[in-house]
Amino acid sequence: MKKRKYPKDEIITFKSANEMPPLAVSLGSMRWNKTGSWRYIRPIYENKTPPCDEACPAGEDVEGVQYLCEQGKFEDAWKLILEEHPFPGVQGRVCYHPCEEACNRGHYDEAISIHAVERFVGDYGLNHGLIPPRLSQERGHKKSEKIAIIGAGPAGLVCAYHLARMGYTPLVLEAHPVPGGILRVGIPSYRLPKDILEAEIEHIIKMGVDIQTDSRVDRDLLLKDLKDFNAIYVATGAHESRNLNVPGEDASGVMSGLQFLIDLNLGKKIAIGKKVAVIGGGNTAMDTARSVLRLGSEVVVVYRRSRAEMPAIPAEVEEAEHEGIPIHFLATPIRVITDQERVVQMECVKMELGEPDESGRRRPVPVEGSNFIMDVETVFTAIGESPQLSFLTEDIQTEWGSIVVSDHGETSKKGIFAGGDAVDQPRTVAHAIGSGKVAAIAIDTFLRGKDTAKIAASVQIGQKGSVSMERYLRGEIRYNASKVVRFEDINLAYFEHKDRVDLPRADIEKAKQSFVEVNSGLPESAVTTESGRCFNCGVCNMCENCWVFCPDISISRKTDAFGYDIDYDHCKGCGICVEECPREAMSLEEEQK
Amino acid sequence: MKKVITGNYAVSYGAMVSRSQVIAAYPITPQTQIVELLSEFCADGLLDAKFIKVESEHSAMASCIGASATGARAFTATSAHGLALMHELLHWAALGRLPIVLANVNRAMGPGWSIWTDQNDSLSQRDTGWLQFYCESNQEILDTIIQGFKISEQILLPTMLVLDAFFLSHTSEPVDIPDIEVVDTYLPKYNATYRLSTENPYAFGGLTGPDHYFEIRYKMQETMDQAIEIARQADEEFERIFGRSHGLIERYYSDDAELILVVSGSIASTTRDVVDQLRSEGRNVGMLKVRMFRPFPRQEFRNAVRRAKKVAVIDRNICVGFGGIFYQEITSTMYGHRDDLPIFGFIAGLGGRDVTPNVIHEIVTHAETHDTPDTEIIWIGVKR
Repeated sequence: MKKRKYPKDEIITFKSANEMPPLAVSLGSMRWNKTGSWRYIRPIYENKTPPCDEACPAGEDVEGVQYLCEQGKFEDAWKLILEEHPFPGVQGRVCYHPCEEACNRGHYDEAISIHAVERFVGDYGLNHGLIPPRLSQERGHKKSEKIAIIGAGPAGLVCAYHLARMGYTPLVLEAHPVPGGILRVGIPSYRLPKDILEAEIEHIIKMGVDIQTDSRVDRDLLLKDLKDFNAIYVATGAHESRNLNVPGEDASGVMSGLQFLIDLNLGKKIAIGKKVAVIGGGNTAMDTARSVLRLGSEVVVVYRRSRAEMPAIPAEVEEAEHEGIPIHFLATPIRVITDQERVVQMECVKMELGEPDESGRRRPVPVEGSNFIMDVETVFTAIGESPQLSFLTEDIQTEWGSIVVSDHGETSKKGIFAGGDAVDQPRTVAHAIGSGKVAAIAIDTFLRGKDTAKIAASVQIGQKGSVSMERYLRGEIRYNASKVVRFEDINLAYFEHKDRVDLPRADIEKAKQSFVEVNSGLPESAVTTESGRCFNCGVCNMCENCWVFCPDISISRKTDAFGYDIDYDHCKGCGICVEECPREAMSLEEEQK
Repeated sequence: MKKVITGNYAVSYGAMVSRSQVIAAYPITPQTQIVELLSEFCADGLLDAKFIKVESEHSAMASCIGASATGARAFTATSAHGLALMHELLHWAALGRLPIVLANVNRAMGPGWSIWTDQNDSLSQRDTGWLQFYCESNQEILDTIIQGFKISEQILLPTMLVLDAFFLSHTSEPVDIPDIEVVDTYLPKYNATYRLSTENPYAFGGLTGPDHYFEIRYKMQETMDQAIEIARQADEEFERIFGRSHGLIERYYSDDAELILVVSGSIASTTRDVVDQLRSEGRNVGMLKVRMFRPFPRQEFRNAVRRAKKVAVIDRNICVGFGGIFYQEITSTMYGHRDDLPIFGFIAGLGGRDVTPNVIHEIVTHAETHDTPDTEIIWIGVKR
């Protein structure tokens, strides 16, 4: 066998037939032949946004977490979540996980158990005493501006967390005796154990955030004490229960469901009757009903619409029913009947669904003559909460009981920002976290004199308003964030059907007798298996398909980093790499000529 | 060891004693038995070869090309439409200079659907760069496979040997099957000059610009010219070892013949008998059997007809729009050499119609009774 003796990248021109081999054989290289000039479409190697990432209001790199968990890199997964917010343990328990709804795998067999994986990662971080990732000295150097955050709920704490990472020393003022907001005083501990929440808040405090509890902010304090603050973030939540507006509502046995939960969570003694009705279909109603059950009373939920319209997380409704709580759909109280100022009965009317209202849900209409009476001793109202905003000055615009803010959390008053349940946005922890991040970016850009709108736009994930703090703080433009991968973009030939791993079902009889956490988490092996089901939509995981399939050897592995390079001098644009990429990390673009 | 076997089995035995290493073939009547027996040889461990089942003749030849490129001895067999389907890859094998051996059972091209013999299938592949040998007997078939590898591996061009459907493929004759160890002494292991390997990787068949393609063709022709002498030597060496040879153009009572019949394939056997009979009657007739068709041994042919007064070419094929293909070759070979020599072009036996002694007699009588041919095509036995 002859050894090569010709230079690699030069055209070999023989002077005579005698010098030539008898056949077309590569004595040199064909690289001189720039076949890339034949191309009219080009493959683009570029990560895109997975639908789970776009759907996450908290802006988590959901796919990235699955990628790391599949390899058992739980510490890295924890740190990846901590780039976005400090609450994986909390969110792994209370999030309504819209990511799973968006998961492309759901169109194939079942969505990834993202929620359960997050809980595992959160617990892993706490159990292993992990420390949140630090920023570089350059990015996180100490800054002198004074920032006040009103409200130590998820929005306020997430905002404080990120500002502290950036080098600020925010002051957080909390009205309750403990930080955590609705997470601490609203959500019962069987859903979110207090130690998990406290441990994650501890991370924030350790970063230098000063949380002053029992510090309710009134207008006086706002105008005087916070006068010389460079920025204020209002994240006071929505704690005012709406009234039923029915006769007898003022009786002592009619109470706010949320107030009941707050008292319960702060360890206060609450007297309730043996027969309890909870009015409403949201998470507060479910939490109230299940807490009442645990206190040993009989409880029924009364909701004026049908199951489909319930605003509560479906899993919470399911668990309430599983615990044996009856839900009376399509009924509403019209009168609370008292005897010697004690509630004894409640008169209700049956409803039917009419035309859709402004919320898009079908409006409940009373059915004439369908009145019925229920025996009750305590009635909890949980038909919605509104923010308490009387402390705000008039120059901060409000509308329909919420603070009016821009897309970046700016109120009508310069230097004042707002978020969480106090503004008009879905009342979820995930949205509160998202708004805390948006505000942290807006406050930082405001204080540093940068173009907030432009910068905020550059850190968007997909089209639904989620932002990437990792991108904002670390400046990594890793992908085409605006392109969200669809199910049709996935090459299913590379994925086998596999059952989803769900959280193990708790022993209900035991669970409903105490406030101990109902659900246990997934074991480690289940987490790696479950994360392994992830399509990794739009994000290259170096499966090597493009490299293996390229007929022109025009794709090579990067020598110094993760990923591939495309040799456009020789790529003919056949598109095989795009077709064979299981996850749309390769896409085609028309050649601009 | 002598065995009474069909022409098809002679092909299989030939491929076996040649120690073919890769066999990729697709069955087609009348070739199927070749593949069947070879697959049995492989299954029974009589032949240590990779037998690749393919879904078409195109893939069969593609597989042989790949195998041959790695330096393996590759063999395949086909017929008619199967050969036509291979056409693109026949060029590939030749231009890739791969010493593949292919047995083609001559079968008429359809439609009308025919499984019977004529030569149009293999002659349609005349210009692909393959060597072509037309065989008269089952012994010659077996021997030509061994010789084919011997020649091809020296010159790096593929060989196609051709046998008539049914007259040879399905007719049994005594055939001497040489011991494989003896064949080894004649046919050593193939040692490829350029081959696919991971130690010293080459790519084959890449883009070749006008700067070099011309020379590749030139070298091919140069090799084809040399192939005549190499084939002659291979036949001589074969005779020394195995005690028989077949020649490139066999002369049968032709040296002093006034009329020479030019034939190929199994018609030669019939013609041989007719010549014997005519000679006994005192008629001065001889025969030339063209065994090697590509490259065409032009000088050898000219020498063989030096003293002839007339030449009658019998074609079991037709180049529609021109005439018999052997006739074309021979008229062109003789042009400017013996312009006084009348060359008659007979077409006979298309689609497997019998070419009997009577048919040969008719041809001889026609040639004897005409000073020059009336037409360029003389049809024998056509129902007009």
